[in-house]
This record gives sequence, structure tokens and C-alpha cells, in this order.
Amino acid sequence: MRTGFLQRRWFHVLPGGGCAAVLILAALVLAGAAAPEPAPEGTEIKVERVPPVREKLSTLRFLRENRDFIRARLDRLREKPVGGDASAPAIDPRFLAYQGLLAEVRVAQDTVAAVEDARARQHLLESITELGDLEARLGWMERLVVEQRNRLMSLESDFTGDQRTTLMIVVSGYPSDAAVEELAITIADGDTLHVPLSAEQRESLKRGGILEAFHGFVEPREQVVQVTITGNSWPAGDSGFITLGPARDRLTFLKLDLSTIRPARGAASIRATTWLHEGESHSAGG
Amino acid sequence: MQGCARTPARQPLALRRLRRAGVTAFASALLFVPPTLAGEPAPFGARAGLDIAAVSALAWAPDARLVYIENDEALDGQGAAARWGYLFFSPHLDKARAYSVRDGKIAVADTLDMKLETPPLATDWIDSGVALAAAERVGRSFCRQHGGRLSTMFLMRGPFQDGDPDETTWTFVYASANAPSLFVVVDAAQGKVRRTSRG
Repeated sequence: MRTGFLQRRWFHVLPGGGCAAVLILAALVLAGAAAPEPAPEGTEIKVERVPPVREKLSTLRFLRENRDFIRARLDRLREKPVGGDASAPAIDPRFLAYQGLLAEVRVAQDTVAAVEDARARQHLLESITELGDLEARLGWMERLVVEQRNRLMSLESDFTGDQRTTLMIVVSGYPSDAAVEELAITIADGDTLHVPLSAEQRESLKRGGILEAFHGFVEPREQVVQVTITGNSWPAGDSGFITLGPARDRLTFLKLDLSTIRPARGAASIRATTWLHEGESHSAGG
Repeated sequence: MQGCARTPARQPLALRRLRRAGVTAFASALLFVPPTLAGEPAPFGARAGLDIAAVSALAWAPDARLVYIENDEALDGQGAAARWGYLFFSPHLDKARAYSVRDGKIAVADTLDMKLETPPLATDWIDSGVALAAAERVGRSFCRQHGGRLSTMFLMRGPFQDGDPDETTWTFVYASANAPSLFVVVDAAQGKVRRTSRG
């Protein structure tokens, strides 16, 4: 699991002691209560107290059983010079085109710079001719912008959308009787993400704020998300386990509602819901 | 595991047509069996599972490259298996991760505890069924002589092709209780048997 794209941010952050903001938020909450927003309801998922038992399947049996033999063969290949074809593969013409596009942009930049020098030498902008020069210069700059835009569009069309299975984990609500100091989230066998909750964040959660705990690429397969709650009232290492199958090439949301949790019932009392983003998902890195 | 495929003796034309009609009728009947009754996951060629495995591997590491494929379940006579394993290597992470695909889904994802820096596979490799057809010309006689069967096939680049280690090859392992296993190496671009060995 990659964690390089991990981000945490507040959708709603209350400025400390900002009465106006609190009032606005209260008004919004009341308005929301009066006319419910058609927010995605999602599917509720059970949070287990113990990790679910999964089918044990072996994979690549021959490779594992013969690993020493295969590695020895590979090592032998490295030690001995071979007469293999070392010619480079053909470069994708699109990649060459990027260089061309960049060169064109630089030519335009040079032209703009030359014009700029000329402008520095001329001290007066009084005549109609000089105004014409200015217009031409603006035209060149405009062309520069257009070429840069074309280049960015080429890059975007070639490199975005290749891999889009993403998961966003958000946290909402806050328990009334037991403080939560930190959440630890582990997706499948990946690294553990620690989400400490500051006093301001806790206050915001109490008032209906939502915290984005994770947003990143995930493998499109069934996997277990482990959520561990840390706080004085919570038993050490108390975890809940959520089985989730992020849909391929879609943005899957997982919301962890903390408002229902109780120390007696542990992390399994988290109310978890999931839903898919309506539109096409976007690159989490961008 | 499958035994070696057999070539039937030539039969009269009328009899062949009759048999073909029977087979067609039987196949048609099978088509109407509800999927829920089918039970077992359908076997598929190695290339069919690559897409979902590659998507998953790119989620794990953007520089992941395919280095190895092996059947995870028994092979049938057409080089299809109900589950295939795909191994990807990330130079950036310096790790290898395996994905086992069944029914178009990832059944297993596992980071290997072994270091295996193999070169990436060529992209134009022939599918498992085509490669098996080439290997069977050699493997069949081994099976007849020693009562063997095809146990494993895997796609790799390097270790089993001394003459041209840059070549991506399918390697077939025919196992027998009475004789050393037979290895048949098939060029994954041309579908030609490159070498055979026993071990």
C-alpha cells in the first residue's frame, strides 16, 4: 500500500473562539435539518472485533519451492557477459514530441526575451508604432501561453487516468463520554497511518465537521482496514476490522462515524459506511 | 493436473461429422446451465488475468514491472487454469509483490519475502494456450513413456535460456513419479521450442 499520497485535511475547520463561524455553522446545521441534503447514504459495513478469517491460497508455488535454483541461475547470468541484444527499444514518439513542444516554447521564450531587451533600450512608448510593438509582444506572450497549455494537455492526456482506484477515508462525529486522542488506520498489509486528533479537530468533529484521514491509491481487491482507537478511556490496542472491496477505477469513500462509539464496546462500535463517488474519480496525487 | 493431450486417430468423415454434431449439442446444453450451478471458477489463459493484476501492481508501486507468471491451479489441455499468479518487481521499493487472479478478481496479494531481481518480461508474449500447443509436441512423448503429466508452466526472462537470456520464454515442467522431470522451454515471441532438459 502506498502512503506517499497520504493527506489529511479538514473540510470544515473552525477558527478558535470564532463566534460568527460557530453561528454560521449552527445555521447551516439547522438549515440542513430543515431541508435534508441528498447526501450519499452509503452502505453500512459491520466493524468486526477480530480480523476476519480469510481463505489461505498459495501462489507462485514453483517459484517459491525452487527459489534458490532460480536465483542461482539469475546470478550466473549477471556474472557472465552475454551476447544479448542491448539495443534500446524505440522511444515512444509522444515522448519525443514533448521535447519538441518544449523547444518550441523555449524558442518563443527567446523571442519574448529579445523583444524585452529591445524594449529596455527604447525609452519612449509614445508613438503608434511602439503601441503596435506592444500589441505584437502581447500576441507572442499569448502564443507562449497557448503552447504551454498544449504541452500540459499532452502530458495530462498521456499520464493521468492510468491508475485511478482510490480510497478516501473520512472521520465524522465524536463520542460524548470518552475522549479519542488518536486513530491508527492500517489498510491491508500496508503501513499504519496515525491520525492524532487535536483539541480543535475534536471540537470541529463534535460540531459536524469531517476529517479526511486518508486519500490514496489502493489495490482493487477485497481488503481489511484496521482501525485502532487511542485514548485514556480506551483499552490499549483496541481495534475494529472492516472488510472493504474498493471498486476498480473508482473513488470509494469509507466514513467512520465516531459518535456512536463506547469504550465498553470498543472500536467495533464505530459506525462505518461506504459509497462510491458518483462521477469519474480523479488522480489522488493531483 | 492435466495429462498430456492426445491426438485422436483419423476417423471417417461421416463419423467425424456425427461426433461434431454431438459435441455441439452438448456444448449448447452446457451454455444454458445457470452460472450458479457451474460452481468452480472458469479456467482462463494467462493473459486474461494480467490487466487486473497490473492495475493492482501500479497501485502498489508506480514503477512496478511484470517479471514472472505461473499457474496457481491445475492446467487444462488448452493451457488455461482457474488461477494464475503474477509477480511484479519495483526497483524503487526493491520489493516483489505477487497477485493471484481468479474469476477476474485478485484472490491473493502477497509481498514476497525473497529477493528476486529479474528483468521485466517482454510485452509481446504469446498466451499460455499457444505456448502449450508448441510444448506438447515434445511433452507428449515424455508423458507416454513415463506416465507423466504437465505440472507447471511459467513465463520468465533469463534463467532458462542460456543461448539468449534476453528472451522471454515459457517453461513447461512435466513431472513423473518414475523419471526426472522434463523441462521444455518455448520462445514466448515465436512459439518455438528452444530447448529441453531433464532434472
